[in-house]
Amino acid sequence: MSRSWRILAIGVLVTVLVIALTPYLWMLLTSFKGRLDVLSAEPQWFFTPTLANYPEVFLDKDYLPLVVNSLLISLSSTALSLIVGAPAAYVFARSDFPGKEDLFFFFLTTRMAPPISIAVPLFLFFTLIGLTDTIFAVVIAHTSFNLSLVVWMMRGFFAEIPREIDEAAMMDGRSKLGAFLRVIVPLAAPGVAATAVLCFLLSWNEFLYAFILVAFEGRPLTVGIPGLVTPHGTLWGQVAAVAVVATLPILIFTFLVQKHLVRGLTFGAVKG
Amino acid sequence: MDHGASLPLILPATLLVLIFLVGPFGYMTYTALTDLSYSNPDQNGAFIGFDNFRHLIRNDGIFWDSFWLTIRFVAATVTIEFVLGFALAWMIWRFIERQRLLVTLLLVPMMIAPVAVGLIWRLLLQGDFGMVTYYLHKFGLLQKASAVFSTPELVMPAIIAIDVWQWTPFVTLIMLAALMSLPKAPFEAATMDGAGPWRQFTDVMLPLLRPIIALVLLLRGIDAFKEFDKVFIMTGGGPGTISELLSIYAYRVNFKSWNLGYGAAVAFMVYLVVLILCSILYKAVYWKSADTAAKV
Amino acid sequence: MPVLFSKVTKKFADGTLALDALDLEFELGEFIVLLGPSGSGKTTACRLLAGLETPTEGRIEVDGKDITNLPPRHRDIGMVFQNYALYSHKTVYENIAYPLRIRKAGAAEIDRRVKEMAQLLQIGSYLHRKPSQLSGGQAQRVAVARALVWQPKICLMDEPLSNLDALLRLHMRTELNRLHRDLQKTFVFVTHDQEEAMTLATRVAVLKDGKLMQCDKPRTIYRQPANRFVAEFMGRPAMNTIDGVVENGVFRSGNIALPVARPEGPVTLGIRPEQIQLVDRAGEDVVVLPLDVKELIEPDTLLIFQIQGKALTIRTQGDSAEYSSGTLVNIRFPKEALHFFDHKTGERLA
Repeated sequence: MSRSWRILAIGVLVTVLVIALTPYLWMLLTSFKGRLDVLSAEPQWFFTPTLANYPEVFLDKDYLPLVVNSLLISLSSTALSLIVGAPAAYVFARSDFPGKEDLFFFFLTTRMAPPISIAVPLFLFFTLIGLTDTIFAVVIAHTSFNLSLVVWMMRGFFAEIPREIDEAAMMDGRSKLGAFLRVIVPLAAPGVAATAVLCFLLSWNEFLYAFILVAFEGRPLTVGIPGLVTPHGTLWGQVAAVAVVATLPILIFTFLVQKHLVRGLTFGAVKG
Repeated sequence: MDHGASLPLILPATLLVLIFLVGPFGYMTYTALTDLSYSNPDQNGAFIGFDNFRHLIRNDGIFWDSFWLTIRFVAATVTIEFVLGFALAWMIWRFIERQRLLVTLLLVPMMIAPVAVGLIWRLLLQGDFGMVTYYLHKFGLLQKASAVFSTPELVMPAIIAIDVWQWTPFVTLIMLAALMSLPKAPFEAATMDGAGPWRQFTDVMLPLLRPIIALVLLLRGIDAFKEFDKVFIMTGGGPGTISELLSIYAYRVNFKSWNLGYGAAVAFMVYLVVLILCSILYKAVYWKSADTAAKV
Repeated sequence: MPVLFSKVTKKFADGTLALDALDLEFELGEFIVLLGPSGSGKTTACRLLAGLETPTEGRIEVDGKDITNLPPRHRDIGMVFQNYALYSHKTVYENIAYPLRIRKAGAAEIDRRVKEMAQLLQIGSYLHRKPSQLSGGQAQRVAVARALVWQPKICLMDEPLSNLDALLRLHMRTELNRLHRDLQKTFVFVTHDQEEAMTLATRVAVLKDGKLMQCDKPRTIYRQPANRFVAEFMGRPAMNTIDGVVENGVFRSGNIALPVARPEGPVTLGIRPEQIQLVDRAGEDVVVLPLDVKELIEPDTLLIFQIQGKALTIRTQGDSAEYSSGTLVNIRFPKEALHFFDHKTGERLA
């Protein structure tokens, strides 16, 4: 009885897994297909693979700098968010002051803000100071939402460290700031790493802010890919090649932080 | 920790948010009260009070179409994703012992960039050579193998299905975590009280999961309401305005028509709805649990 | 009309052998206490009887009926959990009413029974509260009320008092005694606390490593422990045991020698600390030892001596002010207080 249910459940899960993965797999296959195989009316599962799409798009079409841009933007935004956000998270975890929870919630609303509502005024603002079309504009925009993720996630990690550790560090002669930097941050290192990876992922995957704030110079990959899609004669092999480069590192990272993913996605409300 | 020591630690974060989020938001609110437009030289940003909002609410049929389309999109995706995601989570929790690899693989649709999701499905749903179009046609689910996104009556169902494909894993992941953290004792107590499996589900499991269910529904609701990337890539809101969700409408008014004053008013409305959902989220979930969650 | 465990073995998925062919039998209406150190299998035995676990081997009977594979809800058994396991989203009233609702009792009957139980356990004034608003003692009462409200034949209690503070624990102990007297139900109570076992039980079942060591009245357990383990586990401080040899009717171990009526050979001698006497002159059952340490546990005193590197403890009334470290003390081992155990198996020797 329970055994046949189990087999049924495994069947369902395998089907779901196939549905979840096949589209991505197809994209992966397409990136190794020649033009004729891509455009074949009958789907080609077995074909003679070619590596040509990759050099064509990254070197001939000059998409390599976009990878660099994506990296620069994601790394800078992650670093900035952590440097500014972690100390704030520590305060939220340790001290009490009037209006603390309201300020905390205020950080959440910034995370929840629809990008389209913030992107318009940011665009106007950066136009005003002449910083549109620079990486800097995108880094700032991404930091605005990553910062609240850091504050919400790291509060939980810091709160898990007993207060006695701070107190012991201070009895050992450290200042409050010293206790935070030298004792608490190292103890929360796994949490810091998980948060950093999540920040990186969100920034790397982000589209709308970057799309509005940079037109050409400083374009990350996400903004670059749609440019390859034209109403007629899209080179899907090349599109797929860029998409693979834009997604594969993310999947590796996902595996690394899966344990903390739940916490990141629910802003600390659910422990994974 | 006293206030003096915490202020320098919390100030930079607060300032950054104030300058780059609250500032722009204030600026947007102000712009919404002007007639600023880059496409009409006569409209150079004069203050016109609530005219934009008045027009938006009373006379802008396209805005309301877009609004209701978005609401229907949110209702459909969140409902389907929740039911499917919870069912999957339950199955994994109940029947699978080593879940880590399975869950990680399930997460692929959700973790890859939404832009890539849009492109993948655009490729899969091509008319002449789309893999999914081909098989749908072959198995009689599609009358002719034409591009799904240029067939008006298929566009929204397809978009909803793709959103379900992308985000059901989110529900599964969180509900699975919730199921795994359920205490055993209440279920054993219910067993001893004589409750069968169904009563244990309705009387014990659902009440225990209620805060997390609320959290999942609201987080998904907020995200679905802001949906832009993949729909923009797949259809651009078309054909016509058939798939023009609010974010895409706001984008069109701002960056296609360059009516920045009016566009700001639209963006403001989007923000307003999200803010309302957000405060429900806070009251329902974080209000009590922010500190306990940190403790558990 | 007994409850019967017949060769019950429970092996968990991780390989732990929690019960090892346990045989246990007791009558309905008893207050049975399952006593043992952690890992002895007492909680497993309780959960097997409840039906929350299934035995790997063996069978369990109630009233001559095999219930080994019967689902819990058909067993006519209620249970009180260590952490109370109240439904946090229901009021106290609804918590207590829940088993009755499951069994589709009428509204009037539910109300009558809940209020009856509430009065019996003195929680009538909390019925509208949620579990989070209750103290530990109150929550414990609610859990007991819920387990008993539908009048099951047997009520299981898995370390129900261990989360309460000392004073409350004493109080609840008395209440449980009263409850058993009034309701005439079978109580099966799991604990590691020998004092709880002694005060509550009609019979105590002492378990160790998944096996039954002894099942007897508390008095018998104390006075005639079935083996060395039970002897050392019961009583506070534990019974002194001394390994030695009997030669020509004299028990010898280190520098002590006592005349005993035992056959020749190695044996373990046991004596409870409170039954050793201090005397002021020598005799054949008197040994002279220098005092090592003195501990005051008002109003009594513990005097601790060393025999071959092992402590010999004496519990005596008063503060023994006349003794200090190094004092030579005359210690009498009364014949009637001596226990003998097999030096290998630890079994009691007649």
